[in-house]
Amino acid sequence: MTATALPVKSGRVLDRLSLRQKRVLWAWTFLAVPIVFYGAIRFWPTLEAFALSFTNWNLLRPAAFVGLENYKRLLVDPLFWQVFRNTFLYLIIGTPVSLVISFVIAYYLDRVRFMHGFIRALYFIPFLTTAVAMAWVWRWFYQPVPIGVFNAALTWFGIPQQPFLRSTTQALPAILAPAVWAGLGFQVIIFIAGLRAIPTSYYEAARIDGVSEFTILRRITLPLLKPTIVFLVVFSSIGFLRIFDQVYNMNFNDPGGPLNTTKPIVLMIYQTAFKSLDMGYAAAQTVVLFMILLAVSLIQLRILKDR
Amino acid sequence: MANIVLNNLVKKYGNTTAVHGIDLQVKDGEFVVLVGPSGCGKSTTLRMIAGLEDISGGTISIDGRVVNEAEPKDRNIAMVFQNYAIYPHMTVAQNIGFGLYTSKLQESERKKRIEETAQILGLEKLLERRPSQLSGGQRQRVAIGRAMVRNPAAFLFDEPLSNLDAQLRTQMRLEIKKLHQRLGTTIVFVTHDQVEAMTMADRIVVMRDGHILQVGTPMDLYERPADIFTARFIGSPTMNLLPARLIERAGHHVAELDRLGASVALSSAGISDAKGPEVLVGVRPHDLVVGAQAGEGGLCLSGTVSVVEPLGPETLVHLDLGGTSIIASAPGKIIPKAGDHVTVGAQAGSLYLFDSKTERALCRM
Repeated sequence: MTATALPVKSGRVLDRLSLRQKRVLWAWTFLAVPIVFYGAIRFWPTLEAFALSFTNWNLLRPAAFVGLENYKRLLVDPLFWQVFRNTFLYLIIGTPVSLVISFVIAYYLDRVRFMHGFIRALYFIPFLTTAVAMAWVWRWFYQPVPIGVFNAALTWFGIPQQPFLRSTTQALPAILAPAVWAGLGFQVIIFIAGLRAIPTSYYEAARIDGVSEFTILRRITLPLLKPTIVFLVVFSSIGFLRIFDQVYNMNFNDPGGPLNTTKPIVLMIYQTAFKSLDMGYAAAQTVVLFMILLAVSLIQLRILKDR
Repeated sequence: MANIVLNNLVKKYGNTTAVHGIDLQVKDGEFVVLVGPSGCGKSTTLRMIAGLEDISGGTISIDGRVVNEAEPKDRNIAMVFQNYAIYPHMTVAQNIGFGLYTSKLQESERKKRIEETAQILGLEKLLERRPSQLSGGQRQRVAIGRAMVRNPAAFLFDEPLSNLDAQLRTQMRLEIKKLHQRLGTTIVFVTHDQVEAMTMADRIVVMRDGHILQVGTPMDLYERPADIFTARFIGSPTMNLLPARLIERAGHHVAELDRLGASVALSSAGISDAKGPEVLVGVRPHDLVVGAQAGEGGLCLSGTVSVVEPLGPETLVHLDLGGTSIIASAPGKIIPKAGDHVTVGAQAGSLYLFDSKTERALCRM
C-alpha cells in the first residue's frame, strides 16, 4: 500500500479484491442459484436421457448398453413414422392457422376502443383454462346429436352429422381446433403489443402520402412486425411439436386414436416409457424430439439474424 | 404553391377546447412558424391543416378550396414529423420513393425524381443505406426528401428539429431555410423553440392556450410585443419585468419602481390605456448594461452581483436588487465578481411598459 492510498482495513478478504473482482463475485453469487437449479433439474436429466437412449433399461433389470439399437428400431417402426407425420401435421396446420387468426383479431381489436379490455380478456381466458377441462368440454361439442352442438348446428342446416373424433381423417383437425383456440389469447396479446410498438406517425405519414390500407398493412405493418411474428412462429411451433394434453384428454378411452391417427411424439414417448416401460426406446424418441426442437430453434436464430 | 387560410378554426376534445377559433392567413410561398409552449394548440392546428385531426368548427382552405372534409392525401401537402417517421426496414431510396407510391409515374421517371431529391439534400451517396446506418441529421433529411419528392403545395413541419443535438439543430435550421429559399414552397413550421422561430420565419404566430396572441415578423415581435407573454417568450435571455406604479410628479407622468427607489419618466402617449396604476416596466438584458449611463428618460438600477455567465462576446450578469433578481449584460471582457456592487443602465427608448392587470403592452419608452 502506498502512502497516498486511502487507509483500508487489511485482513478482510473482500477488501483486498479490486472493484472489478468484487462485481464478478457478486454476479456469480446471484447466478449460482439458477445455474445449480437448471443444472440439476434440466441439464443433468437431459444428458441422462441421451445416455439412456443407448440402453435397454426397463426399470427392473440394470440397463445394458445396446448401441444404436433403439434408433435402428425407431427407423423401421411404422408407428413412429405415423406419429412423426401426425406431429408435423399439428405443426404445419396449427401454426399458420393460429397465427393468421390471432393477427386478424389483434389487428382489428387494436382499433376497437369500446370494451377493449373486456374483449381482450374474453380471448385470453382460454389461455388460463386448464387443458383437461377444456378438452372435456370440446369432447361434448363433438358428440352426435343431442349432446354435441356442432352436429346439432350441422343438422339444423341440413348437413349430415360428422363423426369428428371417431373418424381417422377428422380427428386430428378436431383435436387441433381447441389447441389453436387455447393459444389465441396469448398470441393476440403479443400481436397487439407488437402493433402498439409501431409509432403512429408511420401510419400518419402513409395517410398523407395517400397509400391504401392494404399497402400500409403489406409494406409497413407486417415488415415492422417481423420480430413479433418470428417469436410467435417459433413459440407456437414448439407448442404444437410438444402437443400432448389436448390429445390425451380428447380421446380419453384410446389416447392418440382412432388407429393412432392423432398420436403425437410426446404421447408416444409417454406410452413407450410408462405403459410399455421401455425406457431406452422412449429415451431415443425423446432425443429425436429434442433434435427437431433444436432444429426449429436454430432456424429461428437464422431468421432473426437476417434482420 | 398555395396559400393556407384558417377561419375561426376550433378543435375540441370532449369538453376541453384545444384551439379556440383562430384566424390565420399564410401567403403563398411564406415561411410561417407557429410557436408556443407545450399544450398551446400549435401541433393540433398543424395536424388539422394536414387532415390528421378532425375539425370541430371553422374552415381550412388550401389554395382557395375548403378542405375540411378532404382526406390528407387530397390536400396536396406533405408533412415532416418530429420522429422523422421514416421506415426502418426500407432503404433511403425506398423511403423517399414511398411518397410516390400512389403516383402513376413511370419507373424511370420515379427514379429520376428520387435522385434529384437526394441530390438537393446531399443524400445521393446514401440511397442504398438503411435508416439505422444514418446520423440524426441525415435521417431528418430523408424525411424532408420524402416530403419534397411529391412536389407538394405546402410543407408542414411538426417540431422536426427537437430530436437533434444542439449543433445539428443549428445546421438543419439553416438547411431548411436555404431549402425554402430555393423551392419557394409555403411552409408551416411548428416549434416550441423561440430561436428556431426567430431565425427561420417570415412571420411568427405566437400561441398560448389555444389562442393566437400575436402574429408578426420576427423583428415585429421582438420590438413590439403585444403582451407580457410574447415579450418574455421572444428573445433570450428573457426580458426583465419590474413592478411599478404610475404616478404624477410635478405635472409629469412617472413610473415609480416598487421598492427600488428608481423611476422612469413617461410621455403621456399610451398611458391612457392603462387600467390602473399598477404597471410592469420591461427591459431586455442586452439593453441593461453594466456601468452604462441611463441618461434622460432611461433607467438606472444598482444591486449585488449573484451569478456571472461569461458567453464570450458578452457577459450575462445576474443581479439581486434587494429581493428582486434581474439579468443585465456587460461587454465580453468585463466580468464582475459575485458579490460586487454594480450599477446598470438602460437608454431611453429601450424600455417597455405593460399593464399589470391586462398583461397588454402600453408603450415603448
